[in-house]
Amino acid sequence: MTSVPRSSGWLFRPLAWVNRIGAIWFAVTLLYGVSGLISPGMFQVGQVLNILQVAAFLGVIATGQTLTLLAGGIDLSVAGVVTMANIVSTSVMAGRAETMVQGIVICLLLAAVVGLLNGIMIVEVRVTPLVTTLGMNSILFGAALIYTGGAPHGSISPGFAVFGQGSYLGIPISTVCWLLIAAFIIWVTRKTTFGRQLYAVGANPVAARLMGIPVARIKIFTYVLSSVLAATGGLLLTSYIGSPSLGIGDQFLLTSIAAAVVAGTALSGGVGSVLGTIGGTLFITELNSFTNIVRVSTGTQFVLQGAVIALSVLMYRLGGLSRAST
Amino acid sequence: MNSKNDSPLYTRRQAIGLGAAALGISALARALPAFADDAISRAKIVGAGEMVSGGKYKKTGSYRIGFSNGFSGNTWRTEMLYSIKKEAGQHKDIADLIIVDGQGDITKQVNDIENLVSQNVDAILCIPNSGSAVAPALRDATKQGIITIPFNLPVDGEAWTAYNGTDPEKKGAGLGEWLRGAVGNSAKIVALGGLPGNSYTAAAWKGAQKAMEGSNIQVLAFKDAYWEEDRAKVVMADLIAAYPQIDGVWCDGSQVAAGAMKALLAAKRPLVPVTGDDYNGLLKLYAQEGDKNPKFKIGLLSEPTWESVVALRTALKLLNGEDVSKRQIIEPRLITSDNYKSYVRPDLADGVFVDTDLTNDELKTLFKS
Repeated sequence: MTSVPRSSGWLFRPLAWVNRIGAIWFAVTLLYGVSGLISPGMFQVGQVLNILQVAAFLGVIATGQTLTLLAGGIDLSVAGVVTMANIVSTSVMAGRAETMVQGIVICLLLAAVVGLLNGIMIVEVRVTPLVTTLGMNSILFGAALIYTGGAPHGSISPGFAVFGQGSYLGIPISTVCWLLIAAFIIWVTRKTTFGRQLYAVGANPVAARLMGIPVARIKIFTYVLSSVLAATGGLLLTSYIGSPSLGIGDQFLLTSIAAAVVAGTALSGGVGSVLGTIGGTLFITELNSFTNIVRVSTGTQFVLQGAVIALSVLMYRLGGLSRAST
Repeated sequence: MNSKNDSPLYTRRQAIGLGAAALGISALARALPAFADDAISRAKIVGAGEMVSGGKYKKTGSYRIGFSNGFSGNTWRTEMLYSIKKEAGQHKDIADLIIVDGQGDITKQVNDIENLVSQNVDAILCIPNSGSAVAPALRDATKQGIITIPFNLPVDGEAWTAYNGTDPEKKGAGLGEWLRGAVGNSAKIVALGGLPGNSYTAAAWKGAQKAMEGSNIQVLAFKDAYWEEDRAKVVMADLIAAYPQIDGVWCDGSQVAAGAMKALLAAKRPLVPVTGDDYNGLLKLYAQEGDKNPKFKIGLLSEPTWESVVALRTALKLLNGEDVSKRQIIEPRLITSDNYKSYVRPDLADGVFVDTDLTNDELKTLFKS
């Protein structure tokens, strides 16, 4: 685990206090309040539900990304996996009801294979995670092009739309799916042996190996989980839009990392939490939504988003948050 | 000017078309039905600029043609590639059609063009990733006596042999004018474009703003929506929350228009007049929702996927010693609620662009439907 001396003084004490109550939740609330004051539309119940619905896609993908970051890796193939899930599911479902389960299962199995290959390349062949997963992302995009011939076809099964477009008691079902998945992964990371081993592997793989932790197996399984969760997010997004698109996953390549990092997950591994990533996802989605609503150009939108993300990471460092784990 | 005849003198029919085009929306284009197999011969292509003499390019024997495609991966490009390959297959004098893919990378595309030059091609066709970045490479090729024909998206300067494509600013103005007519002079609209910073959307939106000048139309927001349905749906959902009244949506592409309409449907808001291009997904959506939403109207100007065929034919004309116009501006087809039934392909994928020279069977093969 990276050790940063805890800072003291008038500037750092409040930041450390904010950290103790959960800095990302403080940021989510603050951003929501400020954006609502500037654009009252943000306070509408409909808009809150809209943000929750849209956040679900990123949320599920970022949950998997957080696991790889905790294990000291990174998964840049999530974009390709999302596109693969979109292309394969719409192609298999082809608008028919009876092929829905088949479409879902095939996507999840393919994603598991992708994750397994990533893990084996990283752990057994010892290619760095960045190179392996970036290469896999390129392979997946190329495979999607070859599979579709550049002309994606098909559509979702009629009953599948409910996952991305439906709601239960007013709450979007995609949000319910996301929170259930995240809750399960939080439980896994906090309450199971696997979870404790995951943090240990990310913090210091050599020490973890000396302690008898199966480092290779943990890492490989983490990449499998990341891919399967990316495919799940891709399926929810596909349900939301209903049709195939070859560029659909690109937006998640970096936002999935940003959602984890703004919530305090360290790129160096062993530090962070899936609970924080829920806050990080809400923060990123809120920020996108807010910049969509206010009258700023796309250029200003990018500057704002980049500045806020950089600022939040800076705050973690100043507040000594890099020492925090769960 | 018809693509089969590059004479600078316009026929009466073409002159009528020019007059109609000057009004912003081509009434002639509206009158023309959509028959995929002869889409090109029925289209109106207007010559502009000086004539390029084919004499110095005349060559006997077989030809090697290079095509530097900026990127591939969307259905418009896929249809465009299919069309050019099909066309090349019909010309026995074409020995090689070498297609290289820039993969969206400006530097790679410049390198691709230089490689084509070193392969001694007779002509280089090109859809640029960046109109400024490829200009020097095309200029060098042109200096070496190679025919250079950028199409679809313009290249800076004049150091290329000939160009063909639609005029984005004029298209944007046509769409703006149509929307103005559909929503009235005091409506509130939002505008959704393509990739951030792309020159096509910038020109189209500039034209639209000019067309709406003098009206009381209030533009609530202009947002980039990446020419992706899912992105447009998310952006539009945010705009719906912010603005209780949205009377119309200006888009330069119909994937975006379809995403915007789906966001209105999800928010249980009535659908409104919207602009775009010839993307089948929006036409199918209109066929499904048009009757249920009396205010839902479509005003679409196509971006023909057969622009590649025009570029190839232009190269062949020059190699045969014929003269061509420096610029050939293609008049897009206007698709509205009145004539959309002639264009919609209910049996084909959403991703199909319907202003195509491909037959139904070819499209079915391509989209595996």
